Amino acid sequence: MRKLGHQKHYYLMLLPGMVWLVMFSIVPMFGILMAFQNYNPGMGLLKSEWVGLENFKYMFQLNDSKTVITNTLIIAVGKIVLNLIVPLVFAILLNELRNLRYKKLVQTVVYLPHFLSWVIMSTIVIGIFGYYGVVNTIFGYFGVDPQLFMADAGIFRQLIVGTDVWKEFGYNAIIYLAALTGVNPSLYEAAAIDGANRWQLVRHVTLPALTTTVVLLGVLSLGNVLNAGFDQVYNLYNPLVYSTGDILDTWVYRLGLQNLQFSLATAAGLFKSVISFVLIYISYRLAYRYADYTIF
Amino acid sequence: MKRNMALLLSAALLGASLTACSSSNDSSNNNVKASSSPDSNSSASPALSGDDLAFSKFEKPVDVHIGMVVDPTDKTLPEGDSVSNNQYTRYLKEKYNINVIVDWTAATGNDFKQKVSLTIASGKLPDGMVVDDRSFMTKAASSGLLYDIGDLFDQYASKQVKDIMASTEGRALENASYKGKMVSLPNITVDTDGVHVMWIRKDWLDKLSLPVPKTVAELETTAKAFIDNKLGGDKTIGIAGPSKNTFPYSTFLVSSNNMAGFDPIFGAMDAYPGYWLDNGDGTVSYGTTSENTKKTLALLADWYKKGLIDPEVGTRDNTGDPINANQTGIFFGPWWNGGYGNGDSFKNDPTANWQAYPVYSDDGKWNTHMKTTGSTYTVISKNAKPDVVKAILIMNNALVRDEATFDLSVAVGWYPLRNVMAAANETEYEYTELMKVLKGEAEPEDYNVPNSLYKLMYADAKKVRDVVKPPFDELGVSNFSTANFGDFQRLYSLLIGDRPFATIPIDKKVYSVTYNQTPTMETKWANLKKMEDETVLKIILGQAQLDSFDKFVKDWKAQGGDEITAEVAELLKK
Repeated sequence: MRKLGHQKHYYLMLLPGMVWLVMFSIVPMFGILMAFQNYNPGMGLLKSEWVGLENFKYMFQLNDSKTVITNTLIIAVGKIVLNLIVPLVFAILLNELRNLRYKKLVQTVVYLPHFLSWVIMSTIVIGIFGYYGVVNTIFGYFGVDPQLFMADAGIFRQLIVGTDVWKEFGYNAIIYLAALTGVNPSLYEAAAIDGANRWQLVRHVTLPALTTTVVLLGVLSLGNVLNAGFDQVYNLYNPLVYSTGDILDTWVYRLGLQNLQFSLATAAGLFKSVISFVLIYISYRLAYRYADYTIF
Repeated sequence: MKRNMALLLSAALLGASLTACSSSNDSSNNNVKASSSPDSNSSASPALSGDDLAFSKFEKPVDVHIGMVVDPTDKTLPEGDSVSNNQYTRYLKEKYNINVIVDWTAATGNDFKQKVSLTIASGKLPDGMVVDDRSFMTKAASSGLLYDIGDLFDQYASKQVKDIMASTEGRALENASYKGKMVSLPNITVDTDGVHVMWIRKDWLDKLSLPVPKTVAELETTAKAFIDNKLGGDKTIGIAGPSKNTFPYSTFLVSSNNMAGFDPIFGAMDAYPGYWLDNGDGTVSYGTTSENTKKTLALLADWYKKGLIDPEVGTRDNTGDPINANQTGIFFGPWWNGGYGNGDSFKNDPTANWQAYPVYSDDGKWNTHMKTTGSTYTVISKNAKPDVVKAILIMNNALVRDEATFDLSVAVGWYPLRNVMAAANETEYEYTELMKVLKGEAEPEDYNVPNSLYKLMYADAKKVRDVVKPPFDELGVSNFSTANFGDFQRLYSLLIGDRPFATIPIDKKVYSVTYNQTPTMETKWANLKKMEDETVLKIILGQAQLDSFDKFVKDWKAQGGDEITAEVAELLKK
């Protein structure tokens, strides 16, 4: 008790954060109840009719649920993997550059798209891949008929993952670049004296130094394994690519906000959260076991 | 994209409302008198009745809390004014002692829909808001959130409002009701908003000495000729099509204002997709699942393959772009799509002579589906006090009566709880009367009738001779002066766009058995609709074989379609 008194000011400093957490994260959790109800806004959460797992049963009866879960997983995993590898390769390449001014310039330029929202970026993407876009113009020089990329369900996922990586790799590389500056130069010197060439320096000094960072980012991003990027998909998709492009979030959006099926949308959202939670837990254990890394 | 949505929506609102673009500065003395008559200074006491009550001033200020849609691109609000303090709110305060308090605002389009959706989900409605989808109204009503305004409406609605309601022969009241109770004020838009016609570049036809195409087959040859002769440049589009946010045809839920859909083509093939059809033997069927729809889709797929339809159909951000850029020779849409809907086309090419005609079936019939009376609703919270409900009714009366007298340099969209009411045949009436004025058979002063059912007639009659020049037998773009572009747009839409509906009898008018959702639709329609949208677009774009249509029909029936059809058949019996 005396000890607590001693630390009073710490708890005081913690208070605003806790209040925020309770108000915006804990209290709204009661809304989850909606998933087990036939929610009636006039009656509110307490008086609406309870229907047990009816909403979940109905959700899995819909063909859509399988489609959107598959799409979400494929798109999200694709993004996670490529968003780890591409920035890594880019950071290493950039790190090898000797011309400092050029290095800074490249870094700044690839960094820029990160700051644009998908509302704007989608226009740019359509400008590039649209029927009269840049790609089709180039195709035209080689006598290839223009393609409707945005309406092609076969390549929509690739397009989503690709453009997301393109938008974010500059930003994601920053953490790697920061980690690279932390590598002790004497390691490079020692390796060079031992006769390592440039490739061997990267392979045996740079990469091992970055392992922890890669694992950390990997684990952190696993929480996003069911986040395939609502605003990106929402701004780029159309009915023609629903079969490969519709994801959990866009589905929940259409169900809940456009079709007013509040309970069903909540059920779908809750389903997503539960799966995400399990995945995060598993990946956390894996990271602990294989990389000896703990976040908490 | 959001901006485009907003633009589209505001364009739709403009056209649908008739009134938005008409600047009018006639101040009808009678109006002023009516609202400042001695009676109106006393409170809304039982002694008053009729229009005295409908325009009565409250003794004590009444606070009305509202949720409001705003157009983020609007620049007409003067410096210092705000959404809750502008010429319209001051007018309401001064004349009726109504204080408008804006609880929240949201931008037109998806933002607003989201906000309304969340407001309903929270169960805490402002006193009044205008929702733009019937499912919002029914959801709120079925949750018991709405005020049963029937009795107060009978007492407080002005004669003008009641006349307009009556002009729909009871359809508007039904539209505004849920389970027999009047729970909202409906908007009422002109019937012609749901009649889609063919808009075609007459100047292009003239260049190629081609006649106006009448049938689907002639339309095909014409579109091909436009493309072959590159009349719109290298990227000439024969026939424009829907964007990623619009649909190939209007449906029973969104039964009007479908710019650049293919509605007239379906009509010419005697197909009515998206509509619930009365088979005449006590059964109903869903138009999309019919053989004729399949045939029309085959035709459209063929046109797409031949390059006659916009190659980017279904993926474009905005259907209006290639039309305004004058790359397009033909598109389909209601009366206001030419004029109001494609203003930039005329700015880019003053000789763009867009003309409107029906598309006929091979045996020379003009078939068209018809719309519901309106699709926006002023909903009033169950918790509103009776005085607040009265205030909202009075606000609506005042808008209908005085809109033509407002200074429209401040967009009328800033009027709180603005929900348009126009007589169902207003456009046809105006077409006929304006032609009389042009030909000298009538004088503008003949229309100086206070509180007329046709509230914009007088203002338009005074303008028409300045905007339209002779000869009047075959009006084209060269007859019009664009000096006041707003007037040009309105009169072009009225005199050219509404000409087919005003002058040519329709051989077959098809109404949907219902324009509302049935109980099962509330859970299953989203899935079925998605299936339908996907199948239809894929067939048109050649991404799916025509055979997939049969599988769609089978799946559609199995996944709730049959169940819903039975529910709609029940409605027919009533």
